[in-house]
Formats: sequence, C-alpha cells, structure tokens
Amino acid sequence: MPNTPLPHVLVVDDNHDNANIIRDYLKARGYPITVAYGGEEALEIFERERPSIVLLDVMMPGRDGWEVCREMKLNPDVTRPVRVIMVTALHDWTNKRQAIQTGADDFVEKPFELSKLADTVERNTRMLSPVK
Amino acid sequence: MEHDDLLYDGVTGLPTLQAAVESMRRVIVERGELLILYFNFSRYSKIEEIYGWEKLDAVLATTAAAMRAYLHDSPLRSSRVMVRFTNDDDFVFFHIPEPGFEAANDEQITEIISGLQKHVSERIEAAHGEDIASLFDIYAGRSHVMVNPKFRLERQIYRGIRQAVVASQSVEARETVRKLEDLRESIRTCGVYVDYHPIVVAETGAVFGYEALARGVMRSMRSPEVMFEVAARGDLLWELSRICRARAIEGIANQFDNGELLFLNVDPGDFADPTFTPEQLNAPDPKRVVIEITERTAIKDYPKFRNRLQAFRDAGFRFAVDDAGSGYAGLGSIANLEPDFIKLDISLINGIDENFIKQNLVETMIRFANDQGAQVIAEGVERAEELAILKELGVHFVQGFFLHPAGVPGHTPEHNPVPVVPPIPATAAQAAGDPGKRVVRSA
Repeated sequence: MPNTPLPHVLVVDDNHDNANIIRDYLKARGYPITVAYGGEEALEIFERERPSIVLLDVMMPGRDGWEVCREMKLNPDVTRPVRVIMVTALHDWTNKRQAIQTGADDFVEKPFELSKLADTVERNTRMLSPVK
Repeated sequence: MEHDDLLYDGVTGLPTLQAAVESMRRVIVERGELLILYFNFSRYSKIEEIYGWEKLDAVLATTAAAMRAYLHDSPLRSSRVMVRFTNDDDFVFFHIPEPGFEAANDEQITEIISGLQKHVSERIEAAHGEDIASLFDIYAGRSHVMVNPKFRLERQIYRGIRQAVVASQSVEARETVRKLEDLRESIRTCGVYVDYHPIVVAETGAVFGYEALARGVMRSMRSPEVMFEVAARGDLLWELSRICRARAIEGIANQFDNGELLFLNVDPGDFADPTFTPEQLNAPDPKRVVIEITERTAIKDYPKFRNRLQAFRDAGFRFAVDDAGSGYAGLGSIANLEPDFIKLDISLINGIDENFIKQNLVETMIRFANDQGAQVIAEGVERAEELAILKELGVHFVQGFFLHPAGVPGHTPEHNPVPVVPPIPATAAQAAGDPGKRVVRSA
C-alpha cells in the first residue's frame, strides 16, 4: 500500500503486557496506535479518535469484547468503514458464528504470533482502501 | 452529537419516537390534530432467518428510503415525519395536515397504502431481488388523534399509535383468513407451479442441477415462504407438500435436457407423512433427485429419521443438508445425516469477500465436506467478488442471482409455469400413488 497512510489502530486488551507488546510491534511497522485497557475506555477512544481498525480482546472484565464490538458496529454515528478484529481463542464453530453475529470482520486466535497478527491487520487495511 | 443513537436509528436513519414527538410538538399543538399510520412488515423476520441480520438491515434501509420517497410525493403533503418504531420491522408515520387542508380521509389512505406497497416492493426487488421482494407485505393501521390540551401530548400520541397497531392487527387477521382460503383453493385445484433455480459448477459455470421452488398460481400464494407459512398455520403442510413435490418431479421428465439433477426441498416433518415413500415419489430416475433437508428444523427422533432416510437412499435418492451452518450446531449434526451435498447457509455467503470469519467458516465446512466425501454448494451468490472468493476457497457448486438472474429466457426452464391441472381428490390421489412434492425457498 505505497503512498497511502496506514490506518489508525485501536488495541483493546485488559492485560497491559499484551496490549503494550502489540502496540510496540504495530507502531514499529508504522501504524498510528492507541491502546485501551478495558471495554468502556475502548468505546470512549473509539468515539474520540475514530480509529479504522480495532484489535479487540474478547475476555475482559466489565464490558467484554462481544459487547464492545456490537456497540462499535451498530453505532449510527459511525459512517466510516471500521474493521473489528477479535483477538480470542475462537476455536469452535459457535464462537465464530457469534463473532459474525456481533459484526466482527476478522479474528486472530490466541495464542498468536506477532507476525500473524500483523498479517491480519494488513489484510484488513487492504479492505479499507476504496479500490479492492 | 454524542447521543445521536438515542435520537436516530442507525439502520434506517429515521428518528426515534421521542425525537420525532419533540420536533413536531409545536406544529401538532397548533393544528390540533394528527394522523397516525402504523406499518408492520410481518414477514421481515423471515429475511433475517434466511439471509442473516446484515441483509435484513439492508432491506430495512431500502424500505425506509422507499417509503420516505413515496410518502413525500403522496397527497399527504404538509408536515410529516416517519419514525422507526420498535427497532424491529415496523414504522410509524405522522401526518399533520397543513392549515387550510383536511386530514386525509379513509379512501385516500387506502389508496396511498396500496400505492406504497407497490412502490416499496419494486424498490426492494430492484435492490435485493425477487425472492426477498416476495416476502414484503405491509399491514397498515391508522388512527386520528384530536389533540386535547388537558392531556399530555405524548400520552395521546402513544394511545394513537396503540390504536393504529390494533387496527393493523385486525387487517392482518382478515388477510390471514383470506390467504388460508386461497391456499385451500390452490390445494384443491393443484394450483402450484415450479421455478427451477440453476446450481452451477463453480469452476466452469456449467449447469449441474436445479433447485425446485414451488409457487402458488394465485397471486397471494406466489411466495413459497408465504404459502408454506399459511399451510403450517392451517395444518395443511402435507397436502401442500405432496402437490409441490409432484410438480417438481414433473420437471425432470419435461424440462431437464441434459441429465441435470433435481434438488427437492423436503421438510423433516414430511418424512412422517405415510404417503411420502420412495415408490410414491415416482421419480423416473431417483439418482437424479437430491432431497434437501434443512438444518433449521429440529429433528426429534434421530434413529427413526435415519431409517426413513435409508429407505430413500436404498432406492437411489441422494441427500443434501440445506442451510448448513445457519445455527450454532456446528458440524456434528450435519455428519449425522451423511449428506452427499452440503448447502451453505446464505448468511455465510452474504458479503463473504469482506468478512474473514465467514471465509474461515466456509473453509472449515469445505474441509469437513471433503473428509466426508460430500460436495459443497454455496447459495445466494449475488456478486462477482463473492463468487471469486468461493472459488478460491474450493466450493464445488454455486447458486444465486449473480449467476443466473431470474427470468433469463432460454437459460433455465424456470418461468414456464405448469398450467393448473384438474383437481385430484386427496384419497383418490393417494390410492393412485400420487406422490406429494414440496419445495421451498430459493437462491
């Protein structure tokens, strides 16, 4: 994707270590990054900073990833394209169906390799560009 | 605005009731009256059931836009606003007559509703295809509120809406009775014909088979969904199914030229019908008939059901699991039926090019099918991008609007309605071994 600025990525994980590792890795690859350590905070940042890609951990205290995803995708205020990637142990059929149901676009299975995560972010970045 | 989602509906862009009342308050009070029209789209839940929520959202957006455009040009000129009512499948329209104009009368309203029905249905067909448009049906109710300053305006409006809802329900009840009569007449006269939707080889585009889709000859029975819904309500499913199956089988002999297969929808409940047997199905070549069983209907007695299937299998019939992956059941229940074909649920195909989770699920299903010796059919393919991804993932066959738009002459035997045949008394039909045939749904 030469000459196109990379999309703003919001990383959401209540595990600070995980969130920070992902942040540093993607930042090094040129993505503008914001981190949220909980669902509520993620929604606030989502409204305020308008990221185009959200990497969303499912298991979080309070508002979990499913709820946050649903809210982001159903927000009528959000007319821009947003890609939500669930970061989770989506091993079985039920979980993946649920992910579709909440409006998620992609997933990264835990535990993941950082390079795999970067590939996932990259393929979703491609989906954001107007000419596919 | 931060709380826009409380004021406007995200899918349709229409205001919520509270927002609408607030914005209209002054005009209503000045005029002193308000006309309320309540519209319910009784069959929209079917769209979600078949195609998934994304499609229903898209259809609701089309519906709202088409209604707005139509009502904007209607004789209801003057202050007006439409709201999304329960975030479900209904809308409420408020009309506040302009000074010097009378509120629209019953006759005008009836005319508007009938025009609206036609207009919205056309818009839906253009945007989403004939099958979805056939599920469109408005039940409308009206109420006229004369504003009394002694009462809180909101309460008067809510009461008015409730009255309009009740009015629409009585319209629906009348319609239901009428439709049941139409169905009885259709069964009596065997007034059913069959559309055949092609299933093509993903790689080559060659026609491999046809899915039979039964439609009533009577206009009110044109949609198979409506026809079977009415039959279920009237406890006439077996009777209708027999006719539909017979009609569909006729097509093999009369309309399929090159050995194509017939995909025949059979509800698991039909297997309990004593007249539904391999012999009475009377197929010229059972190997060319694939019985589709939907994953959506719960199968209560598995061992018994499997025995019934075996009888058909022994006679040469093949099986497909329809709507596979529609629920949360996963692959186990599919494996139980040992299908020859697996038809993926439309909700997995819709927008698959943009959703990597759907791609992953379809990939899993194809791997599973290959392990089981079954072949995968993707239904509801509407766009080139969807087809490209499905081919890449290794889907064997595809079906849908994009490949063979309905009504292409000479391409398929569809749109050649079988004429109505003279009625066959049920008992005589059974004695003569008249098989029943049932078919539902479409690409």
